[in-house]
Amino acid sequence: MLQCDHCLISFPEQGAVYEKIKDAQKVFCCHGCLGIFRLINDEGLEYFYTRRNEWVSGPVDERQIDSAAFADGIRSVGDEAETDLVLDGIRCASCVWLSEKILMRTKGVNFAQVNYATHRARVRWNPAETGIETILKRISSIGYTPKPYAIKAYEEEQQKASRDLLIRFGTASFFSMQLMIFSIALYAGYFQGIDERTKDIFHGISLLLTTPVLFYSGWPFLKGAVRGLRHLAFNMDVLIVAGAGSAYFYSIYQMFVGGEVYFDTATMIITLILMGRYIESGAKRKASETITRLLSLAPQEARKVLLAECGDETKIASIKRTMVPVSSLVKGDLLEVVPGEKIPLDGVVREGTSEADESMLTGESRPVAKTSGAEVFGGTMNLYGSFVYEVSRVGNDTVLAGIIKAVEDAQARRAPVQALVDRVVGIFVPAVLLLSLATGLYWLVAGGSASVAVMNAVAVLVIACPCALGLATPLAILIGTTHGASRGILIKGGDVIEKSKHIDVVVFDKTGTITEGKQALSFYRGYGMADDEALCLAASLERLSEHSIGKAIMTEANGWELFPVSHFEVLPGKGVRGEIDGKETLIGSHVFIVSACIGTSLENAFPAEVREAAAAAENSGATVVYLSQAGRPAGVFVVSDSIRREAADAIEILGRSGIETVMITGDGHETALSVAGAVGIKTVMAQRSPIEKAEGIKRLRDAGRCVIMVGDGINDAPALVEAEVGIAMGRSTDIALESADMVLMRSDLRLVAEAIHLARKTFTIIKQNLFWAFFYNAVAIPLAIAGLLHPIVAAGAMALSSLTVVGNSLRARLR
Amino acid sequence: MSSMYMLIFITFGVGFAAWLLFLWTVKHGQYDDVEGPKYRMLDDDDDEQCP
Repeated sequence: MLQCDHCLISFPEQGAVYEKIKDAQKVFCCHGCLGIFRLINDEGLEYFYTRRNEWVSGPVDERQIDSAAFADGIRSVGDEAETDLVLDGIRCASCVWLSEKILMRTKGVNFAQVNYATHRARVRWNPAETGIETILKRISSIGYTPKPYAIKAYEEEQQKASRDLLIRFGTASFFSMQLMIFSIALYAGYFQGIDERTKDIFHGISLLLTTPVLFYSGWPFLKGAVRGLRHLAFNMDVLIVAGAGSAYFYSIYQMFVGGEVYFDTATMIITLILMGRYIESGAKRKASETITRLLSLAPQEARKVLLAECGDETKIASIKRTMVPVSSLVKGDLLEVVPGEKIPLDGVVREGTSEADESMLTGESRPVAKTSGAEVFGGTMNLYGSFVYEVSRVGNDTVLAGIIKAVEDAQARRAPVQALVDRVVGIFVPAVLLLSLATGLYWLVAGGSASVAVMNAVAVLVIACPCALGLATPLAILIGTTHGASRGILIKGGDVIEKSKHIDVVVFDKTGTITEGKQALSFYRGYGMADDEALCLAASLERLSEHSIGKAIMTEANGWELFPVSHFEVLPGKGVRGEIDGKETLIGSHVFIVSACIGTSLENAFPAEVREAAAAAENSGATVVYLSQAGRPAGVFVVSDSIRREAADAIEILGRSGIETVMITGDGHETALSVAGAVGIKTVMAQRSPIEKAEGIKRLRDAGRCVIMVGDGINDAPALVEAEVGIAMGRSTDIALESADMVLMRSDLRLVAEAIHLARKTFTIIKQNLFWAFFYNAVAIPLAIAGLLHPIVAAGAMALSSLTVVGNSLRARLR
Repeated sequence: MSSMYMLIFITFGVGFAAWLLFLWTVKHGQYDDVEGPKYRMLDDDDDEQCP
């Protein structure tokens, strides 16, 4: 096996392409890779190869791209043309670097920038020197697929809203900072004395600075409060407006009677709460990108096979093909798919054989054989052979469309959660309003003047409004999530922490979560020869095959000196045959070897314990292949998806903290039970399709359970969203990462327990923060009712509650 | 006393300029991609490699 110098794929020596580039001998898996290597070298960009750290890529897609679809997206900016593209295949910062550089070196292109987060490229060029076709060709020549970027209305709206929020928050911050200068001067003046003229000027300036914060930055709260009050609902906005508004107007009154002002309270409330909102909106925007990314899985074009006029369907090979957009296809159309291409729609294979990688839909890492009559699914990758198939489902009926819809539905149902604060506020606000009203009435009845009564009532409102409230939740979440990130746990938002608190069931996906998700040789034994010799023979044969089982055997024998093989032959569905040292050597399935080993049956060939072990291995989902040499049985190999080493440990830790574990999988019952038994999981849900997995989770939730789902593939996406909390494992697909609420950066299942612990702890801290945010204010309320509220008590309470909240939040970093 | 008024004036000037700068950065989409630049900054040595 050799490794391609461009794409790093391992490939057999037969197809190698050698080339001397800059006095160095290079080897490539195909001419496509050589072409790109040359292109990158010619551009002087060979630095790419030294700076890339990881390269994940399939064979380069050399299809022509239809530039007509991009025409709508071109705008003219002055005498230049500009467009936005989505680059499919951007994985890392190197991809961004390379595609930017290659575009900038294209003659006529004046500007190219790729957004790493959204994979969106903005390109500006001079239409007199170059055109969109050249640009698209340049991008696809280095292996990325440009797609037209159609900005969707809701996306645009979301982006606008996020920008609007940032401006409001930024404005509030700047004015608060300015205001603080004068507030501190006024505080100092309170203690040391300040001449009336300066005090008046400072009051005036403070009023000037507070007004835009309250009425511009606080506009969303004003609107929300009015809307809430109209429905007689005391929401968070009512409290914010009541607090900030009363502080503002009370201060204006105090300005005229020469008392102390509280303008800084008003601006702090607005600024801190806007900060919390901004942090939240970032997390939300990320979630909505899931759907866009799912949609991009499906190819836009298909190679349609046109039947000849005689209509003789048996001779498909001799018939014309043409590229058509997928949207124009109907049920019954015949499509051809070549190796390395994505399958456009669901259908049934009519001619040809191949293997398909369906891991993006099923999570199953083993390629699935596709022969005549087999079902294929849109969005999956065709690997080795080309075939013709008949379309059976189009549009919204395909499996991929079903998954997209499930994700959309589940996301739509998920309400933005500030529920806890809202609950507290729902009681606190009416209580404070009543208290303030009661205070006013008391002073009137007790014979005070109207102005004293009103002022005391307002003083209750001002002191009651907890300005640390805006800080309590976001700060704890910020510190909790930062600490999580340093431990390899990414938490996507505050609602996740709240939801993780009640967790009592953790559901694990099998493939890629409990197991490693890739095929590896787990057992081998030689007969009539040493074990290693049998492995060496098998590896020599498998080196020439492209089969996934062969790859697992090859990996085990990595670096060994292998035997030369002649008369090599692949027998699809059976095994491979070749001559080593003049002796016929075969490797393949049980039936194939038995029929080839003349005069023996498997019963005679292998001892009973091996047959039993093989049968047990096959039951647990492993694949068993046999080796024979010169008509005699020579070895047995078991290839399986091995269970993660720490899995049993992780399950035990969860069990100890009283959390039930469940395994869910698309595999059969026996396989599922054997894996579950090995790691100590008692409940198993087997043979579930992606949609059924989500339904399984839903049923658990309907039964009153609070569910975490741990998974790694797109097939988990609906289940991840359906669960209270979805956790995606490290090397998950993009889709799983975005539908998940938490991401484990390391593929270590023990992190699941740690994540739950961290979330529970952070939530406890939030609750404590809320308590402290209210506590000092609550203590000062009696003083306000009594009409004895000293301004310094108010200032002290505000500052102390904020400090306590900050200090308490920092505890999240301690274990 | 007049020195204080001058300082207040300067404070406002600097604060207001910073605010305008902030508005300008938001309008020009400088916060749209907060992930990429941290990698981009590692790229400054590539010009030596590329003639």
